[in-house]
Order: sequence, then C-alpha cells, then structure tokens
Amino acid sequence: MTAISLRSVVKQFGDVTAVDHLDLDLAEGELIAFLGPSGCGKTTTLRMIAGFEMPTAGQIWLGEEDVTWLSAEKRNCGMVFQNYALFPHLTVYRNIAFGLEMRRVPRNEIARRVRSVLEKVQLHGLEERYPRQLSGGQQQRTALARALVINPNVLLLDEPLANLDAKLREEMRFYIRTLQQEFGITTIYVTHDQSEALVLADRVAVMMGGMLQQIGTPEDLYRRPETAKVADFVGLVNLIPVRMKERCGAAIACESTLGPLEGRGPDGPGAEAEGWLSVRPENLHLSGTDGAAASGTDGTVNQMRGVVRERAYLGSLIDYRVEVGPALTLRIQGGAEAPYHAGDAVAVGFASADAWFVPSEEG
Amino acid sequence: MATIRRGDGGLALPWARLSRAAATRRQKAFLLVLPAVALLLLFFILPYLYLLYISVMTQSHNAKYITRFTLANYAQTIGDLFIWRVIFHTLRLGVITTVIALVLSYPLAYHLARASSVMKGLLMMLVLTPLLVGVVIRTYSWMILLSDTGLINSLLTSWGVQPAHLMYNDTGVTIGLVHIYIPFMVLSLAGPLQGIDPDIERAARSLGAGAWQAFWRVTWPLSLPGVVSGSVLVFVLAISSYVIPSLLGGFTVITVPLLAIRTITELFNWPLGSALTIVFFALTVVIVWLFLRLMSRAMKGAA
Repeated sequence: MTAISLRSVVKQFGDVTAVDHLDLDLAEGELIAFLGPSGCGKTTTLRMIAGFEMPTAGQIWLGEEDVTWLSAEKRNCGMVFQNYALFPHLTVYRNIAFGLEMRRVPRNEIARRVRSVLEKVQLHGLEERYPRQLSGGQQQRTALARALVINPNVLLLDEPLANLDAKLREEMRFYIRTLQQEFGITTIYVTHDQSEALVLADRVAVMMGGMLQQIGTPEDLYRRPETAKVADFVGLVNLIPVRMKERCGAAIACESTLGPLEGRGPDGPGAEAEGWLSVRPENLHLSGTDGAAASGTDGTVNQMRGVVRERAYLGSLIDYRVEVGPALTLRIQGGAEAPYHAGDAVAVGFASADAWFVPSEEG
Repeated sequence: MATIRRGDGGLALPWARLSRAAATRRQKAFLLVLPAVALLLLFFILPYLYLLYISVMTQSHNAKYITRFTLANYAQTIGDLFIWRVIFHTLRLGVITTVIALVLSYPLAYHLARASSVMKGLLMMLVLTPLLVGVVIRTYSWMILLSDTGLINSLLTSWGVQPAHLMYNDTGVTIGLVHIYIPFMVLSLAGPLQGIDPDIERAARSLGAGAWQAFWRVTWPLSLPGVVSGSVLVFVLAISSYVIPSLLGGFTVITVPLLAIRTITELFNWPLGSALTIVFFALTVVIVWLFLRLMSRAMKGAA
C-alpha cells in the first residue's frame, strides 16, 4: 500500500522554483532518504508533506487521503526538526505529552503512553528535566519520542543528526533505523550526508535543483548511478569521458583517450552514445609498471599507465591521485601494502564489472 | 626535610601572589562600576532621599519647609479619602493603559519579529519615529483631533452623528497615554518574540495544535518575559505621566503626579506633596513586586 504519494508537486517562491514536478510513492513502513546539497528542495518537500508549506501545484496524498490543502495539525505527521524545536518551557514529560493532550487523550492513558515511549528511547528518569538541562543526544531522543508517541502515519526527519558530534551521529543512525523498524513507521529522512542516507535508507531519492535525479536502493545509487551528478554526489567517483562503441546486453565496449575500455551500462544508450565511465576509487588497482602484477587477475581488462601526483595517508588505506592522461587525474584508494610515492610511474587497472556507463546530460 | 619545606613555601607563594592579584583586579573592577553607581546615586537615589527628607519636615508659608521633624504629612496623606481616590484612579488608568497597549502591541511586535529584515527595519522605524517628536507636541495633536470641535467630532456632526466627548475625561487621557507609551511595549515584546524559533510553533502544529492552541500553549508562555517587562515599563510610565493627563484631562482628571505638583506649586505645601509622592512610590514598588512574583511563578521554566 502507498503511504505517501507526491503527484507532480511544484513549489515556487516568487521566481524561484524550489521543487519542480516531483513524483514519488512511498510504500508502507519504508524508510526513504531525501539526499541532496543544500537548496535542492528536499527540506521544502518535507515541509509540504508536513503541511507547513502549500504546494504551488500538484497533489500530496497520505494513504487514501488527499491532504494537499489540509493544515498541519490534521495530518498526523510526526516531525523531528534539525534543531529539535523542543518546547523550552515544558519538561520532557510535558513535551512528549503535548501531542496527546491536543488529541484529548485521557490523563492516565497519556501517562501510560509517555512512560512506554520514554522506555523505548531510554529517557526514563529524565521526565522532569527541562530541554536546556539535557545533552544533545537526549534532546534528540526527546524530539523522537514526542513525534512517535502520537502514533503518526508518517515520521518526517529533517537532518535530525546534523547538530550532534560525529561519534554520536554514528550511533544514532543505527538507533533511528532500529526504532523505525520497531514502530514499522513510514519515514522520510532528509539529509545532505550521503553516507547517512546509504546506511539508513531502504531507498534513497537524490534531489538536485528541485528535481528528482534518481531514486533507488543504496546499492543502485552507488553502483549504477544514472547521471554524472548523482555519481559525483554519492561517494567518491572517477568519471572517464568515453564514447560507446558497441554493446552486448549490459556489457559495453567504449573508446576513450586512454584507449579501449570495457564496462557495464544501463538499458537505452546504444553505440555512439557519449558519456562517462564511473569507477569508484576503491575499485581501481595500482601496480608497478613491470606489468606482471596487474594483468589478467579478477577480470581486470582495463589497463592504463600513469604517474602518482599526490598521496594522502588515511590510516586503513592510502588515497592517491594518479595522472593517467592529459587533464585526467584518477583518485585511487588502496591498501597500504604496496605504497607508491609522488612521481612513481604506476599501472592502473579496473574490472569491467566495476565500471558503469553514465550517459552525458544531453543523451 | 629542609628542601621539602622550601618546596612548600615555593608552592604557597604563587597562591599568595594570585590572591593579591585577584584583590587588585577586584579593586579595578570596582572602579569600572563606579560611574554607573555615581549616576544612579546622583539621578535616582539622591532626589528620592531629598524628597524623603522634605516629607518629614514641617510646612512653612514663607519657605519650602521648616526643619522640624514630623510625621503629620504622612498622617494627612494616609487619612485623606480624596487622596486615596486619586491614587486608585491613577492606578486604574495605569492598568487600563497597560492592557490596551499590550493588546495593540502584541500583533505588531509578532509581525515585527517574523518579518523579513527589510520589512523589520521599516516597521521598527515606524514604531520609533513618534519618539522623535516631543510628548507635548504629540499631545497637542491629539487635542486637535479629540476636542469637542476637533477633527473627529466635526466629521461626526457633518455625518449627523451625535458628537462624543473624547477629551477632558478618562477616554482622552487613556488614548494619549496608550499612544505615547506603545513604542516601549512593542520594543519590549519584540525581543522575546524574536527569540522564539518558528520551528517551535510548527512543532506544536504538527503535534495537533490548531493556530490558537499553538499560540496559547507555546508562543504566549514563551513571550511572557517581554509581556512582563513591557507591562511594568508602560504601567510605571503611565502612572507617573504629567503632561498627558494635564493637557488631555484638562485638570478634570486628577492623577497623583498632578495632585503632588499642585500641592507643591499651588498650595505651596512641599512636605505634604513629598509625602504623597513617597507613599505613591512605595505603593508602586509593592504592586510591581507583587506582579513580578506572580508572573515569575507563571513563567517557571520559560526563562
């Protein structure tokens, strides 16, 4: 069943189009992440679903109901704001009870439900504290509890981890995922942090300039990006400009300034299509120029030579920038076992299964 | 042993130096506060002390007072029913003015707090410009509008409506007081209102509160500090106003400042006027204190 449905939603602020004909369906119980740079329209979309902004055109459905013109308090959306927006003049208990009081839930029922949700977010014992007396993580969990206690149809999270320190952010990702599955609640998670989106979401919707660029599972997005923008935004990527020569199913052969290259590609673009081969830094392999180590193993058919320009030590791996052709530098991340240095001549190889064809925008 | 003891002394010494340094720092800090203390003393405390002094002196017909201690002025003030009526009337005018100013200012201050920065500057300028014109001049312009033959009444008569008495009564004085002191209320409210994150109101809405509920349960309690400071400010200014009640009240509306000044300048009774002032001052302090206590209970947790 569809829990949330956006139908050709447009939002304009004066001359600026913040959201441009967005179509999106969320299944019941799904966690979808809206991923994009700031100003891409992801927060505006979330606010339209919550009812804080009205769309310029299009429809928003929650379940079986058209809520496009319904005011926020009638939508039953649980929302967690970036800065939590806790009521500073109310205790943790009263903050969480607020939504239930608005629904005229009987007092003992409120007490029972607040206690149960406090248990779930591990805040028991802090009922009488005021928000300013809580740590960032505790405020975050209070905001979650306040949104969840009303049994919302959907949970909307607006960059909920942006104000936490790095270590806590890591913990909270898994925590939010667990909580979401425990409640089985349809959730939209807005973030600009691609790693957060990949870890948390069932599906990720990449938005740029108010438009949906691609929607798919984290693996789809990472391994089979549809546009160069998506490939570039999600993780690190090398884009090698190519022209497709021939294809056989998903396997394609291309020509490039570096010589013939093989990879995989989506349905659609045929021979002569212009585009890029996207290869992730961890899928590029470095070896010495003697050529013995790099050839033939695990389908590494694509070979080129280059010169190490820069290297950065990252602990578990080393980050190289290798110049392989005129105006083409590849980023390569590899294990520390065969360290090369700036100025070293190296061979670079990658498997055809690790190269994905991305058509250029015009195509 | 000797080395250890010397070590002890060496340890103790920096502490001693530190505390001496702290003492000098405190002395220097006191010097910094001194101008403020002097200002307070000169402009606020000394005049009141002088009033207090005069109020316990004996009345004289050819001098301000005779230097002879008496409590008769206080006895006369407290025992006079007329004076109590004037005090009550003044306080009532103050309360009415404060409430009207609050009701009128709140929506304005709210929009001011939520407006874009350009709009905010413009609105702020509009709120503040009246303060650039003297109180007397603004009060005279109200007289032009409100008098029995003034602009409003001549319009009313030309439409065939019975003219209303808008001046030389409480109505006129209240209109004048509200108009003059409204900027102080708006400014006091704007700060706290601006401090309320709009997302907090949105959070209340998403949790099921209607616009009014969100206002009463969230915005209003969070704005109480501004309501309190604005109300105290306007109340105190209104009850101590002299020009507005004298011009718009035409001496038919008698307030404590008017009575005190008349006692001094017309009856030439400095001690009695001073005693009245001191009694009214004490009453005001008590009222404001009670109000603040009451509100601080209501604001528990909001600050």
